[in-house]
Amino acid sequence: MMKQLYEWIDKRTKLSKYWEPIARHPVPSHVSDGVRTNPVYCLGGIAFLCFIILVITGMFLAMYYKPTPDEAYESVRYIMEEVPMGAFIRSVHSWAANMMIAAVMLHMIRVYFTGAYKPPRELNWVIGVVLFLITTAFGFTGYLLPWDQLAYWATTIGIQITSGIPVVGPYVGKLLMGGGEIGPNTLSRFYAVHTIILPLTLALLLGIHFLLVRIHGISGRYL
Amino acid sequence: MRVRGLSFFPNFLLREVVIMFTTAASIFLLASIFPASLLDPANPFETPKPIFPEWYFLYVYGFLKFWTWDIGPIKAKTMGIVISMVFFQLLLILVPFIDRNTEVNLKKRPIAVILGVITIAAVLFFTIYGIVFE
Repeated sequence: MMKQLYEWIDKRTKLSKYWEPIARHPVPSHVSDGVRTNPVYCLGGIAFLCFIILVITGMFLAMYYKPTPDEAYESVRYIMEEVPMGAFIRSVHSWAANMMIAAVMLHMIRVYFTGAYKPPRELNWVIGVVLFLITTAFGFTGYLLPWDQLAYWATTIGIQITSGIPVVGPYVGKLLMGGGEIGPNTLSRFYAVHTIILPLTLALLLGIHFLLVRIHGISGRYL
Repeated sequence: MRVRGLSFFPNFLLREVVIMFTTAASIFLLASIFPASLLDPANPFETPKPIFPEWYFLYVYGFLKFWTWDIGPIKAKTMGIVISMVFFQLLLILVPFIDRNTEVNLKKRPIAVILGVITIAAVLFFTIYGIVFE
């Protein structure tokens, strides 16, 4: 039954032509020798898994969250106290976010010390650094959304620091706040950036990141 | 290029799935034991003390507290922001173009290894500095 379904789909999409070379592609023995797997080569994958968990939990949070100063705090309180599993979903979102940033940092350290940024992989390192910056931008924009004391004042500090960059700083600060102070405009644009702009950008760059890994192969001792 | 090793599917993928479940389970466990917090509603007229940025921005925050020297007409605060935000990120992006040595063996690239260790130590130092020295 499954086999027939697979053949039916394959006849119409030629899927096997694309996925079978990927499936048969051998993983180098310094990553996994069949008995032990080197855990430092899992960090990028862990970060990706965190991203998937964040997208799923984020979708559920977006169903209840309201990005206005009058309603934001109340909607998060509602998620935490009255929505079934709401507190768990939000806590998973928060923990997966922290875990993702830690995994991305450790992944970067692994790539640095194994020299995996060297030719022909320079471009993928640059994309990786941009992915790291996007991940921290996710953290920065997400932090404001609960609109509690910590959210408000941590964002105030963040925007003050960013505004201190010479020449462009004041403009970036104004752009972030959507005006002269943290208010309704700031909250709604942080929400738009956090849930639309950053996820799309990250997904696109991740696609290129993975494609380049596929083209170059996993770096390591056989080079 | 031919590489000896496990085929990606199903051998390697099985290992990946095991790691994925372990990671997901850890996140669910942490989320159950330590739920996300929600403090008092935002009040623009009352600054809470102490207030810290997220842990992954603490090194910037710590560096700003650490750097207290004006360079000529440039204020200390501006210097701190430029070094920790602009300069550091640019340096990270430029790593493959600065290090032109094609050697991947750790023992044959001592300068890159020393600079890497110093960078990690510095980020850790300024992170702790950001929390401890108020």
